[in-house]
Amino acid sequence: MNELFGLSMTYIAAGCLAATTAILGFVALIAIRNPVMFKTGLRNIPRRPAQTSLIVIGLMLSTLITSAAFGTGDTLTKSITSEVYNTLGEADEIIQWDTEKRAAAVDQQLIPMPEVESWRREFAGDPDIEAFAPFISERFSVQDVDTRLNEFSARIVAYRPEDAAALGGIKDLKGRPVELSANEIAVNKELASEIDAEVGHTLVVLFEGNPVELRVKAIVPNNVLSGTFETSQRQGGVVSFAFLSDLTGKGNNADGVFVTNRGGVKSGMKRSDAAVAKLEPVLDPTAYKIEPFKQDGIQMAEMFGSIFTTVFIVFGLFSIAAGVLLIFLIFVMLAAERKPEMGMARAVGAKRSQLVESFLAEGMGYDLGAAVVGLFAGMGVTWAMMRILDASAGQDLGLNLNVAFTPRSLITAFSLGVIATFIVIFISSWRASRLNIVSAIRDLPESHPPNPEDATLTGYIRATLNGVMVMGVPLGASLFFFGPVGFLAGVPLVLIGLISPWFYVLRGSNFAGPRDHRTGEGPPRWPWITGLAVPVIGSALILPWYFIALFLVWLTRDRKPRRVPGWLPVAGIVIPPLGFALTLLQDARARVNWPAGTGAALGLTGVALVYGGLQHNGQFFFAFGISLVVFWVAVSLYYYRVNARMSFTLTSVALLAFWYLAPSGKLEWLTGELNGDIEMFFLSGLVMVACGTFIVVYNADIVLPLVAALGSRFGRIVPALKTGVAYPLTSRFRTGMTMAMIGLIMFALVVNATLNSNFAAIFLNDDTLGGFDTQLEVNPNNPIDDITAAVASTAADPAQVVATGENRFAYPFEAEVENRDRKKNDEREVKDFSRYTFIGADDAFIAAVRLPLKFRAAGYATDRAVWDALAGGSGFAILNAGATVAPQAFGPPVEAGLLYLDPLEAGFEPFTLKLRDPGTGRETTITVIGQAKEAGETFWPGIFVSKDTLLAAFPASRGQTFYFTLKPGADAEAFAKQLESGLVQASGESLRKLLDDQQATQNAFMLVFQGFMGLGLIVGIAALAVVASRAVVERRQQIGMLRAIGYQRSMVALSFLFESGFIAVSGILLGLSLGLSLAWVLFTSGALGEESKSFGFAVPWAELFVISTIAFASSMLMTFLPARSASRVPVAEALRYE
Amino acid sequence: MTFLTHTPGADVVIDARDVEKTYDTGNIQVHALRGVSLQVRRGEMVAIMGPSGCGKTTLLNSLSGLDEIDAGTVFINGTDISKMADNKKTEFRARDMGFIFQTYNLLPVLSAVENVELPLIVSGTRPRVARQMALDSLSRVGLRDWANQRPSQLSGGQRQRVTIARALVNTPSIMWADEPTGALDSATAKEIMDLIVELNSTANQTTVLVTHDPKVAARCHRTIQMADGLILREDSQAEMAAAASGS
Repeated sequence: MNELFGLSMTYIAAGCLAATTAILGFVALIAIRNPVMFKTGLRNIPRRPAQTSLIVIGLMLSTLITSAAFGTGDTLTKSITSEVYNTLGEADEIIQWDTEKRAAAVDQQLIPMPEVESWRREFAGDPDIEAFAPFISERFSVQDVDTRLNEFSARIVAYRPEDAAALGGIKDLKGRPVELSANEIAVNKELASEIDAEVGHTLVVLFEGNPVELRVKAIVPNNVLSGTFETSQRQGGVVSFAFLSDLTGKGNNADGVFVTNRGGVKSGMKRSDAAVAKLEPVLDPTAYKIEPFKQDGIQMAEMFGSIFTTVFIVFGLFSIAAGVLLIFLIFVMLAAERKPEMGMARAVGAKRSQLVESFLAEGMGYDLGAAVVGLFAGMGVTWAMMRILDASAGQDLGLNLNVAFTPRSLITAFSLGVIATFIVIFISSWRASRLNIVSAIRDLPESHPPNPEDATLTGYIRATLNGVMVMGVPLGASLFFFGPVGFLAGVPLVLIGLISPWFYVLRGSNFAGPRDHRTGEGPPRWPWITGLAVPVIGSALILPWYFIALFLVWLTRDRKPRRVPGWLPVAGIVIPPLGFALTLLQDARARVNWPAGTGAALGLTGVALVYGGLQHNGQFFFAFGISLVVFWVAVSLYYYRVNARMSFTLTSVALLAFWYLAPSGKLEWLTGELNGDIEMFFLSGLVMVACGTFIVVYNADIVLPLVAALGSRFGRIVPALKTGVAYPLTSRFRTGMTMAMIGLIMFALVVNATLNSNFAAIFLNDDTLGGFDTQLEVNPNNPIDDITAAVASTAADPAQVVATGENRFAYPFEAEVENRDRKKNDEREVKDFSRYTFIGADDAFIAAVRLPLKFRAAGYATDRAVWDALAGGSGFAILNAGATVAPQAFGPPVEAGLLYLDPLEAGFEPFTLKLRDPGTGRETTITVIGQAKEAGETFWPGIFVSKDTLLAAFPASRGQTFYFTLKPGADAEAFAKQLESGLVQASGESLRKLLDDQQATQNAFMLVFQGFMGLGLIVGIAALAVVASRAVVERRQQIGMLRAIGYQRSMVALSFLFESGFIAVSGILLGLSLGLSLAWVLFTSGALGEESKSFGFAVPWAELFVISTIAFASSMLMTFLPARSASRVPVAEALRYE
Repeated sequence: MTFLTHTPGADVVIDARDVEKTYDTGNIQVHALRGVSLQVRRGEMVAIMGPSGCGKTTLLNSLSGLDEIDAGTVFINGTDISKMADNKKTEFRARDMGFIFQTYNLLPVLSAVENVELPLIVSGTRPRVARQMALDSLSRVGLRDWANQRPSQLSGGQRQRVTIARALVNTPSIMWADEPTGALDSATAKEIMDLIVELNSTANQTTVLVTHDPKVAARCHRTIQMADGLILREDSQAEMAAAASGS
């Protein structure tokens, strides 16, 4: 995997490594500068082994999730890459007929050998191109006479010996060269295992109805030399060139030519661009084209790996976000625990910076340990996920999943874990260091002197001014949306945002104090030291801005006016440089209400984002902006002391309403059409869960009377229940954080599970079968003309058949359709015609098919009427659902596929589409009169016409499949097998079984994916354990008292379990309700695709029940230990505890 | 040696004999009680005094069943609680004892009335009845109007009154108080002691309290003086009153 989110992985890894080095350098510096505080911090680690283990588990989760996401991407990339290298071997490019240059029938698309010879001569001795290897390829039905097993469509290839040698030569599984004479075949491993072929067996090869006997000379590996050109159909074999040439009548011509570059299997590919550049001019005047197919395959592997990593990372973001909350919670609790010690340390002379250093040392001890553990755990999780995937869907994927990790990914995962944790530790350390010494020593709540500016306009303006300065970077950057004017305002704001944090660092030091307070200590030195020690970070983020801040503070420190006029700060917000000066002139002792200030700055950023979202039709910026603005309103109301419950509840409800309306397109009348992407899931989850958490923590006390009312029913457990609810509601911060963690993960799981099960219902339901039970796919070289006779020739009982229908298929290489709505193709080009699949149904199929339609054209009252109109070469057509697509407001963007037309609607006017035969260039016209439902995509992913229409439009189309409707109770699978064993040239399958297999593969992916997302639940559960463990320590004395007044041990334990249970259940219900409701809104509004709009929404109760039960049971399990230890607290000792 | 001023008889509520308690801190063994015997009669108010670490609180905890004892017996109302299983002992405490602590030990998350009703609910009283009894109890300590305030909204004296209300609510036969006035200023301490004495005399409750303050001890019928895990002597109320006025 080379890219993530469009950025080079090498740069990402290098950046992460540099940042990690900087962090480690910074910590090393602390150890050198202040060994005592460093050791003090480190020595805390082994003090409580259980707590340390819990912290490490909590901290490691971010690294675990990141490394598992990277590991998944690496594994898939490596597996596909290996498959490409193994299959293609020495072949780097392929030369084939290009029907876009010159139309020709499929059997006429040949390259004469003399032409190949001329290229060979021209490029002899070329430094990039080594050889040309022409080949013939044909699909045959093959039966092993000895085992009576058959394969209906194996690719048999032939090379001249010298051409095969250019590709490494035909060799058996032991590497011995294989020479083939006429009537000899070397079958590849895949085909051999399919028909149990062994060396010496006789195979019957069926071509155009004529059987030919071949002796198996050898078993050879699956690669281009043995007919494996693609991973989905590996079965093949190789015969002598003369034999196949004679059999197929291709003479001295080739179907294609492999080009090998100089160098090995991997190194040769690097010359692909050069080889293509040299050959394209030569091929330009001819009917042929060259494709760097090995390079394309490797790029596809990279892209596939990158997509997987991106999806896993994006959905892992829920867990990472929860992990960050957990880290913060852990360190807030650690700070609370250390508070008296830190207070004592401050009392005896430790500076705040030293406390930060000590705390950082401790935190980094946990951090590094957790990152290492997380890295290995992530590797383990990747291994487990890949094993599950391999076992349940490996065969369908056509990949050999070998777990792989690149050093680059490991470095990135490790570093990201270290960096994320360090940032959180740094913030919480700084927060912890701002303690009041007396309160800390006596372990009392922090108290602040009253601020005369609280809840006043002056205080609000001051806060906003300071907030804008500190948040200058995001605010300035968001102003860029406003065009040149925004750019002019944004640049200074970004610069101010880079300087102002250093200004606040200086403001807190003696250096910035009034002259009579100064003791000559000078400015803090750590930014200098860090800046010089880590040049990369220092030169960009520290030194220049610190210098400027230093200079400005030095200039203004003796010039602070007694009072700044009220109107000036207002002007300062509007004109950023003026605001900077004003901020510098403010008295450092005038307390800033940072929540209000940050809220205002974020709110202003939100306004800019809303504007940007509307300008660029971006749902993400718009929705994010609105969320920030509403947050601003909440914080402002709180600042003005409007009742907190009311402020947070009302704003949260309003924001939730917005998040239900916006994705469903209900605000389009106001905003116009906005497009979203996959990150919308993350944003919606984050904002909605935050809103839900606010609503719960500010309103859950209404359940207390209900709890009391339960009293008469449950008697003695009521006190435990009561305290179990009362405690969490008192510690809103902890409760909210923990609830949000669980809620966030549950939300992700619920949205994912619900949408997947609903979309699976759309695509994989009974309609999918189209009223048929069994299909019989026929080898294109050996068509069946009389299916009734063919069935009668097998062991299958014709009496079981109720109806039989035939489909002829024109595949994309055989058929083209007009690009009516001028949509871009995969290469972002708008072409006149697009390659597409067409299905020609015979009248019997049309009469029997039960595939429901999504839309019917005007004049057709029923689906049946539409199908009937199709019959008999009428020139009418029914589109498949995938042929049209509407823009999406949420979820991944629609990528252009082979063909996309504008969406239809019920009663649409019939319209025509031109078809073009790539073989002859001849055009015909069809009239679209209906569109099939999405269910049809599974087995019929193409445009339906009648068989006659198809053969008239694309006479060379050779695909043939029969469909059988059987009597009720007939065994479709047995019927299919009986057909298959009697008809060498055909493969029979039960449609139900194919559907079940597809469902099973999808379920396997879902299981792995949900398991991955479920890792985040560990975060929430760990948080519960951390909170409960801490509560046992904090409430020791209260536990003693409860025991003294008559609480049994079991009641104490029960109280703790109720407490965790209350948080867990609240989080689970929060995630469930928000996830389900959002999924419902998205699904029924068609925000994820028009197809869901008309489909009934179903809740996967069983799946949700399992997820919720696992979450709840794990929560209870993790709280059990702290609850037990609480119940075992010795009463007398606890009462003495302080 | 058994200390009992009044004549022993059927009215003995607390009867402790040869109680021993040792704390094992790993390297050091602390003999907190070295064979203490003590009897207290119904309605009696006894103070336990002595220097720090002499075993006062350990004695109170051992007698009330909050702590296990290593040797000896403790009879409360004729029942040997030293041999009781934890659950039985807990029920016994909930039914027959009330506790007052120096640091109040109120649940900060519950209101005053909820704190007071907790022992009742624990012992199975119906919630509505418990609430009424809790309110009555708060009325007795003069805090009826503060019933819905949380501990953090009350002064130190008020919190201790809530503790007393909680200790009284199930009309226990014994009230244990560990430094009930230790965290209060002298005026509030006097108020609290007035209340405890009044309740002791009106409800004929037995009260055992640990204190450092001779003035508090002087309000009790007798004072047990302890040192090094042993009872040194016993002072009468008059002796303590003299000592208190002297101090």
